Amino acid sequence: MRGEIRILRRGEVVKLSGISPTLTLLDYLRLTERATGTKEGCAEGDCGACTVVLRRLRGERLVYEPVNACILFAGQVDGCEIITVEDLARDGTLHPVQQAMVDLHGSQCGFCTPGFVMALFALYHRADTRPVDRQRVNDWIAGNLCRCTGYRPIVDAALAACAETANDWFSTEEPDVRRTLGDLKDSEDIFIGTRERFFAAPASITALAKLYFSHPDATLVAGSTDVGLWVTKQLRDLPKMIWLGRVKGLEEIEDRRDAVSFGASVTLAEAMPYLAALDRDLGELTRRFAGTQVRMAATVGGNIANGSPIGDLPPALIALGATLGLQRGDRPRTLPLESYFLDYGKQDRAPGEFVRVVRIPKFGEGEHFRCYKISKRFDSDISAVMGAFKLRLDGTRIAGARIAFARIAFGGMAAIPKRARTTEKALIETYLDRPDTLEEAIEALAQDFSPIDDLRASAKYRLDAARALLRRALAEIGGASTRRTRVVGFREAADVAPA
Amino acid sequence: MTRIGTPASRVDGRAKVTGAAKYAAEFEAENLAYGAVVSSRVAKGRVVGIDLRDALGVEGVIDVLTHENRPRMARSKKAYEDDIAPGGAPFRPLYDDKILYNAQPVALVLAEDWETARYAASLVRVDYEQEAHVTELESQRDEAFDAKNSPKPRGNAEKAFAAADVQHEAEYWLPIEHHNPMEMHAATVIYEGKGKLTIYDKTQGVQNSQAYVASVFRLKQDDVRVISQFVGGAFGSGLRPQYHLPLAVLGALALKRSVRLVLTRQQMFTFGYRPGTIQRVALGAKSGGTLDAIMHDALAMTSQYEDFTEHVTNWSGALYKCANARYGHKLARLDLATPIDMRAPGGATGVYALECAMDELAVALKLDPLELRLRCYSDRDQNEGIPFSSKKLRECYRQGADAFGWDKRNGAPRSMRDGSELVGWGMATGIWEAMQQKASARIVLTANGHAEVACAFTDIGPGTYTMMAQVAADRLGLPLENVTVKLGDSTLPQAPVEGGSWTAASAGNAIALACEGVRTQLVRFARKVANSPLADAKPDDAALVDGRIVSKQDSSCSVSIPDAMRAANKERIEQEATAESNDDGKHARYTHSAIFAEVKIDEELRIVRVTRIVNAVAAGRIINPKTARSQILGGVVFGLGMALHEETQVDHRLGRIVNHNLAEYHVPANADVHDIEVIFVDEPDEIINPLGVKGVGEIGVVGTAAAIANAIWHATGIRVRDLPVTVDKILG
Repeated sequence: MRGEIRILRRGEVVKLSGISPTLTLLDYLRLTERATGTKEGCAEGDCGACTVVLRRLRGERLVYEPVNACILFAGQVDGCEIITVEDLARDGTLHPVQQAMVDLHGSQCGFCTPGFVMALFALYHRADTRPVDRQRVNDWIAGNLCRCTGYRPIVDAALAACAETANDWFSTEEPDVRRTLGDLKDSEDIFIGTRERFFAAPASITALAKLYFSHPDATLVAGSTDVGLWVTKQLRDLPKMIWLGRVKGLEEIEDRRDAVSFGASVTLAEAMPYLAALDRDLGELTRRFAGTQVRMAATVGGNIANGSPIGDLPPALIALGATLGLQRGDRPRTLPLESYFLDYGKQDRAPGEFVRVVRIPKFGEGEHFRCYKISKRFDSDISAVMGAFKLRLDGTRIAGARIAFARIAFGGMAAIPKRARTTEKALIETYLDRPDTLEEAIEALAQDFSPIDDLRASAKYRLDAARALLRRALAEIGGASTRRTRVVGFREAADVAPA
Repeated sequence: MTRIGTPASRVDGRAKVTGAAKYAAEFEAENLAYGAVVSSRVAKGRVVGIDLRDALGVEGVIDVLTHENRPRMARSKKAYEDDIAPGGAPFRPLYDDKILYNAQPVALVLAEDWETARYAASLVRVDYEQEAHVTELESQRDEAFDAKNSPKPRGNAEKAFAAADVQHEAEYWLPIEHHNPMEMHAATVIYEGKGKLTIYDKTQGVQNSQAYVASVFRLKQDDVRVISQFVGGAFGSGLRPQYHLPLAVLGALALKRSVRLVLTRQQMFTFGYRPGTIQRVALGAKSGGTLDAIMHDALAMTSQYEDFTEHVTNWSGALYKCANARYGHKLARLDLATPIDMRAPGGATGVYALECAMDELAVALKLDPLELRLRCYSDRDQNEGIPFSSKKLRECYRQGADAFGWDKRNGAPRSMRDGSELVGWGMATGIWEAMQQKASARIVLTANGHAEVACAFTDIGPGTYTMMAQVAADRLGLPLENVTVKLGDSTLPQAPVEGGSWTAASAGNAIALACEGVRTQLVRFARKVANSPLADAKPDDAALVDGRIVSKQDSSCSVSIPDAMRAANKERIEQEATAESNDDGKHARYTHSAIFAEVKIDEELRIVRVTRIVNAVAAGRIINPKTARSQILGGVVFGLGMALHEETQVDHRLGRIVNHNLAEYHVPANADVHDIEVIFVDEPDEIINPLGVKGVGEIGVVGTAAAIANAIWHATGIRVRDLPVTVDKILG
């Protein structure tokens, strides 16, 4: 048992023992360390002004992960090195990313600048292909808002700075850092505080199950991109916090012939290449899932467990036929993902029970998949409508094939991510080259869903868009060129960069 | 890279990319206490009870201030009027029990640390006596009253409109928008003792904040020092002292301790905003494409306590040739905070409506929209009946259209496509005032050839530090790195708030004037040098070049600055000068622009992408093309947000803003921005001011939303007349 968290900061190992469970990393930096270079622009992970880079070991890899410090709790950086904007320049020489930002006028009022600099610093170290192209930059900084520059000068600075292979003082010190971070690794459970008020980070599934079973009122945290806002926006006190990030086994990704499984602490960034390999649309979906910083912290399991009606992954995973592995005490159980969502804000999860794994079956013969996300603002926005479609076709020829089986799920159309069961039934036994019967099935969506008007879209738009998305999926699966059907880009050309 | 007109990199760049630049909430003090604001939950009525017990019971809470227990504040409403205050009685935070709008501050929690203050703020329980509120503009059409200072009419617009060959008349709606600078409003008040305060404030005007605090708290002006050296954007939100400032001061006075108060992003929606408007534009034209009548009426919102008015309608008569024009501007009182200027106030609003109406008129006339603008081109400001100091708008049209490829446009809607997407091309004109305010600047030149230039203006991001350094370097003939800039401090020479695109002209001309004084002295000193080549030189005979005083007649005759100062036995020269506008009413002073926009729209899903914008700007002399280009880029993206995203939504049942965060109030994200080309048209102007500078802070916004809305019509054939143009509005 360890009663402190340990971080690497400016070459020194720092031990924090008396921290409050809800102390954010940003407040630690700005108020405790008085390192004010890192800014707060929204305190909810929307703007990226608070971006810091965690240099950490993921297995054997030393990686640079940009994260939003405003909604990350201090305890969650155990075992990481924290790099902030003050740390980049050395001996009066600016880092190449900083120099490019100055030269190309990527900073105006300067308030978003530290966040952009840190996001680009991480890109500088992560870019696997050189030179980095515009699309990669655009995707990478989707989670950083700027109100002054109009973004173009920042993108230009990124392209200039990331034109050459990473070669800075951070690269030079990597062997030392790897060793130090390696030394910080242990298999101790962390428990800071008292039985009434604590931050805990169990190191094994057994320890987690035991702790949560005896404290079912504790808040489970994986990436805290949702729970963080309970503190910063709802001003809630969360006296008992259990973080999943150290639980051995929950970080595992199991890629088998018939299925891929993600442990509950696998981040979206880590899952992204596997999802993209499963299907290009899933890759495209994760690319537009919040911004880079959120994907670095947020988890596949968390996106499901929090039960949001507009989480982006659940509709896709429901259509794919995913199952959820839960555990309470020493009792595991498995259920189809769609059964987990009961009603608005209500899930099939008992007190003390936690999500352990999500299992996504791979495609069988004749199975096809499409999914689309529509949001009010293209990037870094919550879905207005999210549609996912899986069909199994009879026979080998696609043209004119008969639909043998359909699983369709939507987000943003009901109080929970929900299957379109009437529509599914109407599609079965129809033929892809019979538009009239397909249209009948498409009309059935109105029986499955009664969406509402809200800030993101009107009910009418939602239903129309849902119909259009199903129509597109059927056309594409039927062999039509995606030049006419894609929400963005072409499926044939979809190119998802790994995180 | 020192001269005026060269693209120098910003001099504060290093401070900003390293995190060294310090903003209002980042200054330290011994024994600092932290504040958190409790916001009202009702829109109208009064506070009848406040239960502080739970909040005060939290360990670390020092005190909770309310209208019942706060230190003394001025009673008179007049004491709260700042430089920018509109008519009426300003809001007095924590003054009394009255609730004037939802989410106004009702209590201030003061604690030993921020986490505690924030949490305790959630425990303050307030009871209200509620009254019925009104927050919907449209419901107040009949209640609205005439705003003061509507522009004067000319001719008989009603009659000319009725008789016109072609008429267009429509209503255009704009929602409330919030500035949402990236930095939240904040103040750190350092309690110096002996009645003295040093305040790090997020503001666009340090001397405005200083005067306000002195007046509200009956302090001596000299005992209040306000500093704001870096401002994380403002766009108008910092023009007036916002409530964070008096509350932080209240806290410091109550505790006799230094206090920091930072608003939350949610609370950034609890003061000024761009007012929502409903505008009616009626245009009457001859079939040949010239205007006979312009009628432009605006209905705008204001609060219950102040009459906020902006220039919304006058642009219509200033921009185009038309013998008959009439304007109307009405205000409706709502139970909301008073609006405040937001980037291109009034202009962004009025020109949006005018330029969409002109597009619709072009369609009715079967004319190309650009051709219509050319036929209505005016060489005189007809509102005032005077010529322009300069107006290269024709050149903006030409260069912009060329760069965009406008001549390849097929005028029919839904006529252009790219794969599955509909393509639309639209254009609009932009116009903004070129203003100059009285300002002073001080130059201190030391014998080592280093100059310090000082002025109390703030730099909210456009590059004021760089502009000031560049003008001084140019006029003193020094390298840019030999000039340091001091700004954002109330102890510095007088400056108004930074806004209205007037900073470059106001500070720039004051600096140039001070530099002239320095030169005069230097020439006098140079004459004293033994065997001086400038022995007979008069001040105007010499210029300052490369650290030397050089004869204009013969550049081989020169004296170095150190030599001249040594000869006069001077270590330093200090020179202060004040510049004022030379406006004698004989010329109209405006910047102009032509904006061309391309949109691509998914035909079924109606997702709009703005794929290309060309903005050609005529703004007099450009001091620094790099910073100026960025102003236009940022302005265009602001306009893009206005066109497609930005909308503050009020739940009228509660009278409360509901999308008060950056997840639901959308500002454009990087992916929304595609190609933007900025062109500066050469526009010499010897009338406007000695530097020939007009300013570029606002012009990039003006007209952009109209160009995009017009392009959306061209793509889809659907005319959306209320912004933002969201997917559901173009569903048809």
